[in-house]
Amino acid sequence: MTSYLARRAAQAIVVVIGVMIVTFILIHLVPGSAARAALGVHATSTRIAIFNTTYGLDKPVYIQFADYVGQLFRGNFGISYTLQQPVSTLITQRLPGDILLLGVSTVLAVAIAIPLGIYQAVKRNRLSDQLLDGVSFTLYTMPDFFVAFLLIALFAVQLHVFPPEAPQASNLGGMLADPGALVLPIATLTVSNLAGFSRYMRAAAIDVLAEDFLRTARAKGLPERLVLARHVLRNSILPIVTLIGLTFPNIVAGAVIVETVFSYQGMGLLFFQAATSHDYPVLLGTTLIIGAATVVGNLGADVAYGILDPRIRHGNA
Amino acid sequence: MRTSRRLAVTAAKAGVKARTTARAAAAIAATAVVAVGIAACSGSGGSSAIGSGNGTAATGQKIQGGTVTVAWPDGSAPNLIFPLPPATNTNGYDLNFTQMMWPYLVAEGDGGQSAIDPKESLYSSLAWSNGDQTVTIKLKPWKWSDGVSITSRDFTFVYNLLKANVPNWIGYTQGLFPDDVKSVQTPNSATIVLNLTRSYNPDFYAENVLSQIPLLPQHAWDKTSVTGKVGNDDETTAGAKAVWNFLQKEGGDMSTFTTNPLWKVVDGPFTLASFNSDGNYTYVPNKNFSGTVPAMSKVVNEQFTSDTSELDALRAGSTLTVGQLPQNDVSQIAILKSEGYDVVNQPIPGVAGTLLNFYNAQTGPLVRQLYIRQAMEDVTDRPQIVSKIYDGYADPGNGPVPTTAFSQWSSPLEKSGGPYPYDPAKAVSLLKAHGWKVTPGGTSTCQSPGTGATECGAGITKGEQLSFQLLYSAGTTTNDEMEAAIQSSSEQAGIKLSLKSEPFSTLASTLGQCTASSHPASTCGWQLVDYGYDPYSLYPTGNSIFNTDGVNNLGGYSSPEEDTLINETEYGSSAKTFDQYEDYTAEQLPWLWVPLPSTIQVYKSNLGGFAPLNPFSGGINPEDWYFTK
Repeated sequence: MTSYLARRAAQAIVVVIGVMIVTFILIHLVPGSAARAALGVHATSTRIAIFNTTYGLDKPVYIQFADYVGQLFRGNFGISYTLQQPVSTLITQRLPGDILLLGVSTVLAVAIAIPLGIYQAVKRNRLSDQLLDGVSFTLYTMPDFFVAFLLIALFAVQLHVFPPEAPQASNLGGMLADPGALVLPIATLTVSNLAGFSRYMRAAAIDVLAEDFLRTARAKGLPERLVLARHVLRNSILPIVTLIGLTFPNIVAGAVIVETVFSYQGMGLLFFQAATSHDYPVLLGTTLIIGAATVVGNLGADVAYGILDPRIRHGNA
Repeated sequence: MRTSRRLAVTAAKAGVKARTTARAAAAIAATAVVAVGIAACSGSGGSSAIGSGNGTAATGQKIQGGTVTVAWPDGSAPNLIFPLPPATNTNGYDLNFTQMMWPYLVAEGDGGQSAIDPKESLYSSLAWSNGDQTVTIKLKPWKWSDGVSITSRDFTFVYNLLKANVPNWIGYTQGLFPDDVKSVQTPNSATIVLNLTRSYNPDFYAENVLSQIPLLPQHAWDKTSVTGKVGNDDETTAGAKAVWNFLQKEGGDMSTFTTNPLWKVVDGPFTLASFNSDGNYTYVPNKNFSGTVPAMSKVVNEQFTSDTSELDALRAGSTLTVGQLPQNDVSQIAILKSEGYDVVNQPIPGVAGTLLNFYNAQTGPLVRQLYIRQAMEDVTDRPQIVSKIYDGYADPGNGPVPTTAFSQWSSPLEKSGGPYPYDPAKAVSLLKAHGWKVTPGGTSTCQSPGTGATECGAGITKGEQLSFQLLYSAGTTTNDEMEAAIQSSSEQAGIKLSLKSEPFSTLASTLGQCTASSHPASTCGWQLVDYGYDPYSLYPTGNSIFNTDGVNNLGGYSSPEEDTLINETEYGSSAKTFDQYEDYTAEQLPWLWVPLPSTIQVYKSNLGGFAPLNPFSGGINPEDWYFTK
């Protein structure tokens, strides 16, 4: 297991370095001037020259890359052109809130989807399954922003139960101090994730329910409750583990639509705004973090596979 | 809506006009990233009339204290507290953040009037002499918040810092302050004498130059390190550079905005009580303010990530006291009124238009012909755009000076609708008279090339099509509608416009200044562009926008007569000259004029002092506000 982890970690580092190189090249291939994008249409040549000198944009691209890598090894992600703050500070400010919003909603979605999927698999093709299928498909086809607006229209505008904004505090403590404001954004993200997770869980559980070893378990007199908990759950959860692994980078990348609708300054908006304003340091910094999260998420999924399925752990699968 | 918030912010990056634009930006509703979602939230709104800039005065007894919460648009989070941002600063909102604490020598906008506000200005008198080449400024006997008097030394401190550090100041315009100052004399602690390098129109200098200069506390800030002692470091160039660098560094540390002793010495009506990097911050009154201490006990500023989220907050009856309404959401007014809000519209002091690239290799020769520009303006139905797209809440765009925001500067010609009322038949006849085969609904082509009076004009070849690509700033429904309307009406004269919208930053990144001497293909490939509007300071001069070497003249329009008239508005003092400049510019069409939508502000109906709105602050003047009961 240790050598397996070490091998996967080494691969992960190579992938992250590759992401950094490709992103740097792609960003610099985008037509247009970063200085003009940041300073606006009326930037004078003097201001543009000062801007380019300040941020090293007047140097050849390969020197810019070498400078960037050098700074990166010193823990410096650079300064945002538009926000004029260190990128590491911006990420540090925004990441905890996103982890809270997206992390809680993912956990909730998984916690609901797993029993729901197993329930639907057990009740396959019955009325309750078909009803839940209908609901799942409806939610699955609804875009995030539409769910958000429905929830806001009902719970904020009509009923005045929850505020239409996410908490406006800039730290986790402040956000948690306003739990009512967390409800609608978390509910939106949970609903959006729930449908996908439950569909996967249902399909996997149906496959497992048809396996011979379940007949054996039941023949040995194992109660149905334990059959589901010990055998169906453990064997059908593998696809969900993959999904969670793939979802992990989303937690770090933020959710630009939900952040926009609920007025929350998260990683998604940071990335979106950087992309539209040629803010190279922020783009590079966030891409690097998201790339690392993707690798870690997949690594985590692989490890979880190994724990859940001994055949993988022992290299038999 | 064509003036997106992001756009307005970026317009603020232009330099000297940053403050006006930035504060106006707050008042401009737009950027519906998820505009379609509004439909999901729309109730049975129903349109309702909006008050004019004077608004509805809150009735009831004025009460002292209370918390007012102001909504700000996305991207408005300040990141610099030092009030003289460097050239690399990209955040126009920094200036309106600091202005509450360190106001300008000359305050722009007096209530709803486009005039200087003597009450909020730091000077008591401005006297011109020596053929308008010398201005003597008398300061009011006001004090800093730490009790020290505001003196002429505070002005020389600012002057020394700027002189040593230009061009690295966002407000720097070559040739203007501090370049144009021959010498500064301070005969006493309350008097400043500026000897300038040339004569100026006093209106222009007071309203557009001195209105950008804050006074800064020399007795507290003239040092080069945290532990260093305050001295007279600014009096040498090296010292002034060191002070500048120190203050810029300290001013960029957002974590110490409320704790750094430097920023506790203010002369404005407010001081900063709390700040977080998400753009939420709180002012409390400066108890030692020498003017009228604000009635509000707290001003909370909250940043929203989109118009939609802000509108949702207003509709949900939140704690928001002041917000903005996108133009395409006027149907929500009835609902907002039911939540206890009043709504008021405010014309924006700026000029809107479609810019023409006179040096685009393909279309430059076309737009260099005045008759083609006239034909393009003739087919633009501006009154209909104002009434149908902007519900009447827009300046008609009759020329370079907005008649709704600057009625005192608008010429009779502009007030009467401008030189080019909607007349597609005239456009067709103009083109025909110059050798074009006009194909309504299609694309007109040049049939008679040449430079004669009945020929297409220099550089236009036989068979050349009257076709352009029009780039515009994306993100607002009303803006899309306006460009589509212009595209549609242009077809009547066979003028083909291909529309392309781009995010403002993307548009800005490829939009270079094109002149006769320099028009590289990489940045001068654009043909027509509409990025929104250019803001005006109090004196709506066309300098920098329409003059040949103007830094904001992107398309390369050049006319010796225009240059002469603009110079006379800045260096002469005749009001008649201004009308001449205005009418000539309106007729010559350096831009194609289009309507400029107003700001629509929403405020709690028990908020007094909100209206009339100051057009130069976007209506955000909490120093004048109070609650009523």
